Formats: sequence, C-alpha cells, structure tokens
Amino acid sequence: MNGKTRLLITWIIGIIIAIALPHFVGIVYTNVLVTFMMDATFALTINMLLGFTGLLTFGHAMFFGVGGYAAALALTHIPGFPLIGVIFFSAMAALLLGVLVAPLLARVTGTAFAMLTLAFGQLLYVICLKFREITGGEDGIAGYDTPPIHLGFVNIDITDPTNFYYFALVVLGLLTFFMWWLTKTPFGTVMIGVRDNALRVDYLGYRVKHTKAVVLIISGTVAGIVGGVYALFHNLVSTDGVLTIFVSFYPLMAAYIGGVASFFGPILGAAVLHILDELTSRYTERVDLVNGIVFILVVMYAPFGAVGIWWSIKARLFKKAN
Amino acid sequence: MSSVAGMYITQGIHGLVYGMLLFLVSSGLTLIFGMMGILNLAHASFFMLAAYFCYAVLQVTGNFWLALIAAPVVAAFFGVLAERFLLRKVHYMGHVAELLLTLGLSLVILEAVKVFWGTESLIITVPESLQGLISMGQHIQYPIYRLFIIVVACVVLVFMALILFKTRLGKIVRASVTNSEMVGALGINTPIVFMLVFGIGTWLAGVAGVCAAPLLTVFPGMADQMGMDCFVVVVTGGLGSLLGAFIAAFSIGELNAYGVQFVPRLVPVITFSFMVIVLAIKPTGFFGEREA
Repeated sequence: MNGKTRLLITWIIGIIIAIALPHFVGIVYTNVLVTFMMDATFALTINMLLGFTGLLTFGHAMFFGVGGYAAALALTHIPGFPLIGVIFFSAMAALLLGVLVAPLLARVTGTAFAMLTLAFGQLLYVICLKFREITGGEDGIAGYDTPPIHLGFVNIDITDPTNFYYFALVVLGLLTFFMWWLTKTPFGTVMIGVRDNALRVDYLGYRVKHTKAVVLIISGTVAGIVGGVYALFHNLVSTDGVLTIFVSFYPLMAAYIGGVASFFGPILGAAVLHILDELTSRYTERVDLVNGIVFILVVMYAPFGAVGIWWSIKARLFKKAN
Repeated sequence: MSSVAGMYITQGIHGLVYGMLLFLVSSGLTLIFGMMGILNLAHASFFMLAAYFCYAVLQVTGNFWLALIAAPVVAAFFGVLAERFLLRKVHYMGHVAELLLTLGLSLVILEAVKVFWGTESLIITVPESLQGLISMGQHIQYPIYRLFIIVVACVVLVFMALILFKTRLGKIVRASVTNSEMVGALGINTPIVFMLVFGIGTWLAGVAGVCAAPLLTVFPGMADQMGMDCFVVVVTGGLGSLLGAFIAAFSIGELNAYGVQFVPRLVPVITFSFMVIVLAIKPTGFFGEREA
C-alpha cells in the first residue's frame, strides 16, 4: 500500500466519521461540532494570510462580521430569500469590503499590516455599534427566519441541528477544500514566495502587491461566507458576536496553537481550543484566561504549534530508523 | 461672553484633558515602538490595570493620593516583569511572535482583571479637595478634578522631558530609539535600557489610568477605547517620535471633544479619517522616520 492510497483511505474514513458523528453525540455536541467547524474554517482563512503569505491580521472579524450582517439583513428585509442567496450575499458583501480595503492594505507588510487591519476592524465595529437603526447596535439583528434548502421538490429544514450540521459540513468542507486546492496551485506557490522572500518574487516578475491583495480578498470572502453560516446558525448577529476584536483573536489563537506552518494545523488548533473550553468551563467562567495563557506558552515555547510538537516528536522517535 | 462661547471653551478644555491622558499613554507606547519595533498591544491594558490597582488601594486605605503614587508603580512592576520574562524570550523570533505575545498578554490581563474585580463598572470618588466646580468667567464652570489632571500630567511630562533630554540616561534612551543595535555595539547594556523604558512607559500609562479612573469609571473595556486612540496618536505622530505623539495627542483630543459635541456618532470615523489623511500626505506620520 503506497502513500497515496493510504491518504485516500484516511480521507474516506474521516468523511465517514464526520457524517456519522451527529448520530452518536447528541444535539448539544452536534451544535458544538458546528461551532468548531466554523471556527476551524475561519482559522484556516487567517492561516492563508499568516501561514502562507506571511501577513499577520488582527482585524479579520470585519469580513466575518460583514458576511454575518449581510446574511441577517437580507433575511430580515427580503421575504422568502433563498438559502443559496444568503451564502452568495455574504460572500459578495465580504468581497466588496475586501476590494475596498485591499488597495491600502496590500501596500504594507509586517507590523504595519497588523496595525492597519486592527484599525479597520475596530472602525467597522464602532460604526456598526453606532448606526443602530440599521445594525441594531449592541442588541444586533435577531429573530429572522432561516430558509430551508430547496432540492427540487424536497425542502430540507435546517433549523434541525442534525440537518444544519450536514449543511455546515458541506459548505465549510467545500470552502476548506477550495483553500487547500488554492495552496497547491501555482498561485499558492507565489503566496509562499511572498512570505519567504518578497523581493525575489518581485524580481522574478510576479506582482507582490497584487498577490497580497488577491489573497486578502479571497481569504476575506471565505471568512464572509463563514460569517453567513454563523448568522444562519445562531439566528442572531450582534456587534459583540461577530465584530469585536476577540472575534479576530480567537481564530488567530487557534491557527497559532495548531501550527501555522501546515495547512491543517489551524483545524487542530480550533479542536484544542474547543476541548480546552469544554474542560475549563466546568470549573471557571473565565475560559479566555486559560486560552490566553496557553496561547502565550505556545508563542514562547512552541512557535510551530501543536503540529510542530508532533513533528519534533516524530523526528525524535524515528531518528534511529533513518 | 455668551454661553455658546463658554460651551466651546469648555469643550476645548475637555479636549486638552483627554489629549493629556492620551499623551501620557502614547509617549510610552511610541518610545517602546522606537526601541523594539513593535506596537505593544498590551500597553493600554497596563493603563486599565493601574485603574484597578487604584480602586484596590482606595478600598484598603481610602487614600486617593496614596493610590496615585502606588498604583502606577505596581503596574510598572508588572510591565517590567512582562518585558523581562515574556517579551525578551521571544525577541529573537521576530516581530510577529512579539506582537502575538503582547496580544496574548492583553487577553490574559483583561481576563485576570475580570477574575479579581468582576465585570461591572467600579466607581471611584475623588477626594473632597478636588470635588466641585471652579468658575472661570461668567459662563464657564469647570470641574476642578479635570484641571488637576492637566497639572499632574504637566508635572510628569516636564519631569520626563528633563530626564530624557538633560541626562546621560536620556541620551542613551534616545540613541536606542534611533538605533538600538548600534548602541548595543558601543558597549551599553541595551536589554536593561529596554526594561527601564518598558517600565517607565507602563508607569506613564499607569499614571494616566489612575487619573482617568474617576472620569471613566473602572471597567474591563476601558483599555479598548484608550488603546485604539493611542494607536491612532502614535501612528499619526510618527512611530518613535515623542514630539509627533505630543501634537497628535492634542489634535485627537480636540477632535474628540468637538466631535462629541457636533457629530457624536462619527467621532471614531473622524479620528480615523484624520489618521488616514495624515498618512496619505506623509506616510511616516508627522515626525516619523519609518513608514507606518
């Protein structure tokens, strides 16, 4: 059995487990799984910037939030808005925001990029907080109807947790696959080149700024779709839920704890954070304190995250065999 | 003098007070940026931490003056610890790790504060000698406490300026802000200087925190607003430039004060647009040498 078939079998088993899981864990944990999948996909979009293009963003919540608000506003104001339209609308809103901010953000790198994204994110947060006749301010938008999926003559009601789980699995799975595919294309190689040596990529004839802008827009659009799924799942979009600085920080922590050096690291990181949540929330209300301490420890002692720890263990175990 | 003019003048002094607080916090931030090349995301957290220490001291002793002296010192002590045992360890990994570390630090401080003091707003009353209004002219009644803030800030700033521009230590600090590697190469122990500047920076933020505590009340979100405005100040003034931070702090302070009066909902947009306009004309900010 060569590596390729083994990989294929691992994937098939993984997908079967993902499909079977909601029937074993009950409603509560099905919902936990949905939030985990959203966090993981959101963390992957951040890792496209941080891990693959070398851009640290502190304001990715703006895309997530805009996607969420777009979905909520469309569902509130347009009667009978279809589900596919919601996803499309979220994507377009985030894409528009990306096109607006990318020209400014693509010019800068490093600390300045981080700071500018932070500033844009905070600006959007404050604007949404103040214009309460549109966004509902702190209370947000709630109580809109979640449309069913139309499949020919069958309607699937996604307010049912298990059905929503499958819906989220398909949408977020497709997004994950899309991002993974993107990193394998020649464009993905240019992204890595921009991270490692932007000057050289420039001399080779590739456009560094354009590449950064495109990555930012794609990553933002995907984050926007995740925001739309969030809006459908929670039936509530508020500034505190989708736009605060912590909405940007959480997936960043997940990406870093999991390991930014590999594509699937952020998923692992999101899993670690969710397991930490489950364990610590039994004893204390301040879950983020534990998350923050873990995050600091990872930054200090394991810069490649959980994946990096696994790699070093593997290297130590199999050193003699090589 | 009409009452309208009085109102404008009152708002102007409000802006001055806020500008003073902003400059106290952002002067430390800009010096730390100059030395380390990163914006310390946890800086405003020390501002908040000092406000909470002030509350704690007031609860135990009831003496505001003691709190004004002790709380910033304790906050600075924590700042020095953070620099020595956290930031210095990741310095070799580059700016991204340092930024992420300060981010984690701000998160931990925020949550720790919630553990010890809860999430409600805590009210701090100023001592009786500072309560009440002072009458300036016919239509202007101004709270004494806010004037007291201006006095405290001025004393601290003059003192800091004397150290920075008239002593050997100040010379070393200014040189390190410009080029810390060169200073290190000349045989000066730059890590100690870093630690000292970090401590003084957090102490300044702490003084601002205690001063602001009775005005804003003490609550876990107080770091956010201050942090964002300070960020705008430091970037607009030019990263690493004290004079730039000084001018930017008062511009933002006044913009805030008059913005609240005329277009209350657009205040953050105004300050942010101010930053964008300045950066569009001069990408380094007022007096910065490095591009933001």
